[in-house]
Amino acid sequence: MTDWNAMSDAEFRKEVRGFLEAEYPEELRHLPHRPKFAEIEHWHRKLHTKGWVAPAWPAEYGGMGLNAAKLLIFYEEQQRWGVNRGRDMGVQMVGPLIIKFGTQKQKNYWLPRILSCEDIWCQGYSEPGAGSDLANLRTRAEIDGDDFVINGQKIWTTMAHDATHIFMLVRTDPDAPKKQQGISFVLAPMDQPGVEVRTITTLSGETEFCEVFFDNARTPRENLVGELNKGWTMAKALLSFERIFIGSPSLAQNALGQLESFARGRGAFDDPVFRDRFAQAALDVEDHAALYSRFADQLKRGETLGADVSMLKIWVTECFQRITELMIEAAGPDGGTVGPLQVGNVSVDVLASFYKARPTTIYGGSNEIQRNILSKAVLGLPD
Amino acid sequence: MQSSEQEEDLRLLRESARTLFDRAGGSGRSRKLRDAGGEFDPDMVRELGEAGVFGVAVPEEQGGLGMGLAAGGVIAEEVGRVIAPEPVVATIGLGLGLLRRLCPEHPKLEQLIGGEASLAVAWQERGPGGASADATCRYADGKLTGGKAWVVGAGGTQDFLVVAEADGGPVLVLAEASADGLVTTRRAQADGSSLGELSFSGTPAAELACGAAVQRALSEAVADATALAAAELVGLSQRAFEITLDYIKTREQFDKPIGSFQVIQHRAVDLNVMCEVAQAAVREVLMRMDGETDASIRARLASRAKARAVTAARKVTRDAIQLHGAVGYTDEFDIGLYLNRALVLSAWLGDDAYHRRIWFDAREEEGAAQ
Ligand SMILES: Cc1cc2nc3c(=O)[nH]c(=O)nc-3n(C[C@H](O)[C@H](O)[C@H](O)COP(=O)(O)OP(=O)(O)OC[C@H]3O[C@@H](n4cnc5c(N)ncnc54)[C@H](O)[C@@H]3O)c2cc1C
Repeated sequence: MTDWNAMSDAEFRKEVRGFLEAEYPEELRHLPHRPKFAEIEHWHRKLHTKGWVAPAWPAEYGGMGLNAAKLLIFYEEQQRWGVNRGRDMGVQMVGPLIIKFGTQKQKNYWLPRILSCEDIWCQGYSEPGAGSDLANLRTRAEIDGDDFVINGQKIWTTMAHDATHIFMLVRTDPDAPKKQQGISFVLAPMDQPGVEVRTITTLSGETEFCEVFFDNARTPRENLVGELNKGWTMAKALLSFERIFIGSPSLAQNALGQLESFARGRGAFDDPVFRDRFAQAALDVEDHAALYSRFADQLKRGETLGADVSMLKIWVTECFQRITELMIEAAGPDGGTVGPLQVGNVSVDVLASFYKARPTTIYGGSNEIQRNILSKAVLGLPD
Repeated sequence: MQSSEQEEDLRLLRESARTLFDRAGGSGRSRKLRDAGGEFDPDMVRELGEAGVFGVAVPEEQGGLGMGLAAGGVIAEEVGRVIAPEPVVATIGLGLGLLRRLCPEHPKLEQLIGGEASLAVAWQERGPGGASADATCRYADGKLTGGKAWVVGAGGTQDFLVVAEADGGPVLVLAEASADGLVTTRRAQADGSSLGELSFSGTPAAELACGAAVQRALSEAVADATALAAAELVGLSQRAFEITLDYIKTREQFDKPIGSFQVIQHRAVDLNVMCEVAQAAVREVLMRMDGETDASIRARLASRAKARAVTAARKVTRDAIQLHGAVGYTDEFDIGLYLNRALVLSAWLGDDAYHRRIWFDAREEEGAAQ
């Protein structure tokens, strides 16, 4: 197995770039929508063969085991080339959960299936009454013999209509004194009579998230991850993975690259004001990466991330949004136009980037919630 | 300053326009039209014409109501509130703005006022890099050659008013939408509407006016339309804010309405202040444009209005989505329709950065002239 971390940064970058440029399918570059798995399967197979599906997982579980610096390079190169994230809920969320809290049996069973995308995961946390107040969730899981029986509803479940499994937070003890208690983490198959999925159309006309209804759905008891009724603590640990992932520079870097080629093609850099605003955005991204690698290093050393990781998400998502606003500005009279805009030999879908940037300040814990966390847990401000 | 009589007239006009749109189905009607393919409703255009909406800013001696741009702004705000897809501002500002200045006797003027005709104005052009460019579309021997871009209402129109270049300078001509050698390509917009890109190859067209007067009238009409688009954005922002205010009063998390969190309260107040400033500024601009004859001052006023309105609409519509959380990102809730409409109206006739630049340049020129 290659020890990527032993390579120089330049060597590693060259390796990644070479692979992507040679192997990444042209038609998938800068994909404006979230693909279904079938659309990107041929690319996933290549990644899988190469062993590059999970750059952040330890090598013993089939990951690349990259350290923070290498991970950043990996993401930068992906963004530079417009590589799609793929269906990465499994890699980004379920994998880390199982690696941290799962039994050996669970690791042996689930992790390889995540890497091969035999199982495609969606995240079942939010409910109509449990958004920011996630602990308010009501979906019930009751023990019945060797199974859990699940009843309730999840919402905003991204790509649930193209997933084989859902990892979910459920209420297993409704009588617990606090709502954060009595919540458990379970894995459940989607393909069963008790699970119904309805897509929800977004304001840009895409169907990328869903409602998922559970009516006496079943999952084996062995699909409980961690201890019964201890799901909340685990979910919080997982959220810090999510936050460092959402807080990574990738989306903003990608948008910045698109902004640059688009603005150049449209002649927007002739305007000194625009140049200044572009430079601000570019430095916002670059300086964010410096802060990011501090947290990523912590993670690599095996330390648990503190509440301060929230600052990454706040910074980079708002920066991402400013970049897409600049794209719209550079588009001038085309700023309301749907679909790719041609400039010279590149085409940039300005509105697709804009729409993609909007919910980043809502999901993964809204930026208001992140600010609440920072002000209390980091700054120690009183209630 | 407006007299109290004028104020009362505008208030009554606002009331009747609001009633008309509400009775027609408000924003629900706009959603249905979008779902049906994004065109406006010709019956609604007729109804608006009968109600005198298009003629508000046309002088009485030309068959209008003679209430000025201030009244046009009242209508535009109401259009914005219900995100109506009818090209009301384009008609009042551009179509009628050109006809009444250049050829008030033309029968199209009366038909447009009455809502019996539709007329899309084609005056901008796209350069090779994709950005807007100087006019090169030619008119000679009764025929048009070249192209025009960003034409509002191109989908449902019967005729185009085209500004082109002829040997003797600019001309205003009328071409039928079904004329030979005219190809219209529609570019889909965020709100479901479309903008037309026209390509002429020897397309027959009738000359309506020519010479320097055409350029002057075009600049004036564009200034009017710009200020009215600002008013439309003001109405849109105001309504988007109201929808959001209702939402944060009712949505509960952590066992209380989210509007009880201080950070949400402050955000709501900021949006409210933004809306009020924009409304005051745009209404003042329209009033002043009515009393101003100097074309460059009028243009600068229009830029001031659009700059403010776009800045406000951007802030309000983006924050509105944020305050709604995930439901704000769905198509089911109306708030997304307001965001999408704001994108289109902001890009049309120049965004805030563009108009701030124009405003500053105009101010420098005026200073140098004094
Ligand atoms: C595109 C998208 C994809 C998503 N994918 C998934 C998924 O795959 N799985 C999943 O489980 N969920 C998913 N979500 C849901 C997401 O996690 C929730 O939207 C998020 O938790 C916010 O909840 P909410 O939408 O109910 O908003 P609400 O909680 O109702 O919040 C509304 C507004 O109030 C603010 N607010 C709430 N409480 C406070 C407070 N105490 N102080 C200050 N402000 C407050 C919020 O910041 C927000 O601005 C997705 C959401 C989006 C938009």
